Amino acid sequence: MSTGTLYTYPENFRAYKALIAAQYSGAKVKVAENFKFGETNKSAEFLKKFPSGKVPAFETAEGKCLSESNAIAYFLASEQLRGGKCPFVQSQVQQWISFADNEIVPVSCAWVFPLLGILPQQKNTTAKQDAEVVLQQLNKKLLDATYLAGERITLADIVVFCSLLHLYEHVLEPSVRKPYGNVNRWFVTILNQPQVQAVVKDFKLCEKALVFDPKKYAEFQAKLGGGANKQAQQPKQKEEKKPKAAAKKADEPEDLDAADEALAMEPKSKDPFDAMPKGTFNFDDFKRCYSNEEEAKSIPYFFEKFDPENYSIWYGEYKYSQELSKVFMSCNLITGMFQRLDKMRKQAFASVCLFGEDNNSTISGVWVWRGQDLAFTLSPDWQIDYEVYEWKKLDAKSEETKKLVTQYFSWAGTDKEGRKFNQGKIFK
Amino acid sequence: MCDVAAVQKIANCLGVPTGKVQLNEEQVVTRTSGQNKLVAGFTTILESLARESKSETAQNSTVSREVQAQVYQWIEYAVLYVAPGSKDKHVSKQLLADLNKLFISKSYFVGHFITLADLAVYYAIFDLVKSLTPMDKENYLNLSRWFDHLQQRPEIQQGEPLLNFTTIFLHNWATGTHI
Repeated sequence: MSTGTLYTYPENFRAYKALIAAQYSGAKVKVAENFKFGETNKSAEFLKKFPSGKVPAFETAEGKCLSESNAIAYFLASEQLRGGKCPFVQSQVQQWISFADNEIVPVSCAWVFPLLGILPQQKNTTAKQDAEVVLQQLNKKLLDATYLAGERITLADIVVFCSLLHLYEHVLEPSVRKPYGNVNRWFVTILNQPQVQAVVKDFKLCEKALVFDPKKYAEFQAKLGGGANKQAQQPKQKEEKKPKAAAKKADEPEDLDAADEALAMEPKSKDPFDAMPKGTFNFDDFKRCYSNEEEAKSIPYFFEKFDPENYSIWYGEYKYSQELSKVFMSCNLITGMFQRLDKMRKQAFASVCLFGEDNNSTISGVWVWRGQDLAFTLSPDWQIDYEVYEWKKLDAKSEETKKLVTQYFSWAGTDKEGRKFNQGKIFK
Repeated sequence: MCDVAAVQKIANCLGVPTGKVQLNEEQVVTRTSGQNKLVAGFTTILESLARESKSETAQNSTVSREVQAQVYQWIEYAVLYVAPGSKDKHVSKQLLADLNKLFISKSYFVGHFITLADLAVYYAIFDLVKSLTPMDKENYLNLSRWFDHLQQRPEIQQGEPLLNFTTIFLHNWATGTHI
């Protein structure tokens, strides 16, 4: 029976493969204590045994070394897990292991890592669709198969299961996973095997999918210190509130496969507002005040806090109001523009109103953003809609501006031609 | 089929000597074990078999009281509903549809492994599944998956010819190309 030491950081889905395999075969595997990711695996001693410096890595009791999670899992597995005696089933096991590595892991990382803040958010990403294709394939396979290879649990099930863990933990909320009933059934069956339960503790199927949080990503990048002195930064994370989670996040870029590394190399989408001084005006505070308080309170608050040095107020008017027909279509025009400006949200606020009725209406709004110039020119992403508006910078100190701001923020009054306020949309 | 033959098959599965199994005057199946103990009734007999067996299936069936209770619930279901119902055309249709629905979200009847519940229903429904045409089976893909999974186990198959489920595959494919 195999015995040895496994080097890994906690909750590493790749290490799970080996640990679950060991549960089936009864191999005695000790997880290396005091393993510090970025330190232990970069030490000369470790590199001598495992030149790649990657984890999981396994050292047998006799001092033989093995790297690559699938190989370790194979070594530790029982005969049943390796596919039994039949060469065909054994090959099927290999087939599914390759499937997991080539099809599942890349799409899972591309989808989940940005949400965990490990990779920047990708524009026009197809990660979700790609994952759906893979899940669809699995779903078809598992309609008439209880397990992936043969009629017993094998490494095929364990490896594919481990590769799906991130998806099932973070993004496959009930409505998203519903179409993959067979995969769900199989996943739950594997998850509840006592041998799996002994390794994957307290796993909960995703209730609510993660959404991209630029803050998380920024924090993570800050921690990496630009990636150059990653190792030096590592020990500090132990003091963090959630050391486990932090360590996990920090670790994963290390074991990205080539596809993800390429992704990670792409220029990071930076916030174009970063170049401008931050000033004293805090959009978040104002937005909170605006959402929670009456306008009677929030509008004076706006003028009290507003920092004209670093922020500017603009009036934008839709150029082709004669083309506007149905009110709901015009409203979609406004909200569509808001959606396309999504990345501007943090550093901008706007109230855009529709005046008049069907076939006789105008759109205009008051915008506030960081910087003194027209913000839309800062990013190519933001230039889809702004040209159909007439933009006028407003003097923050004048009484007229105050009136206009008050009118638009409180969704009242009429447009220049006396059309009555109909609907308003807030960009925040 | 929850009779003498089923008891023999399940005993074989569990690797337990069958003992003497027969129907008594009231047509109730009875078993006299090696220790000359007489037990009557299908469920009770299975319970006694499980107690004597050291097989994985027997262990999984008695892993906790909750599992045990669920297993016996399904054995009763097999005796009272599956075995008699599978002989009636209309009831059997409903039966297959119900089981198919059950297996949409489950791999096995109880827990996440093969238990006596699977064996009892498997042997009870065997003849019915055997009588299905490939077209019929198409309506019960989830049930077919479960059934096929069990029949592939040599200890469950016990020399019976394998029922063909692969045509479902072809059939699917063929209808797909015709559209």
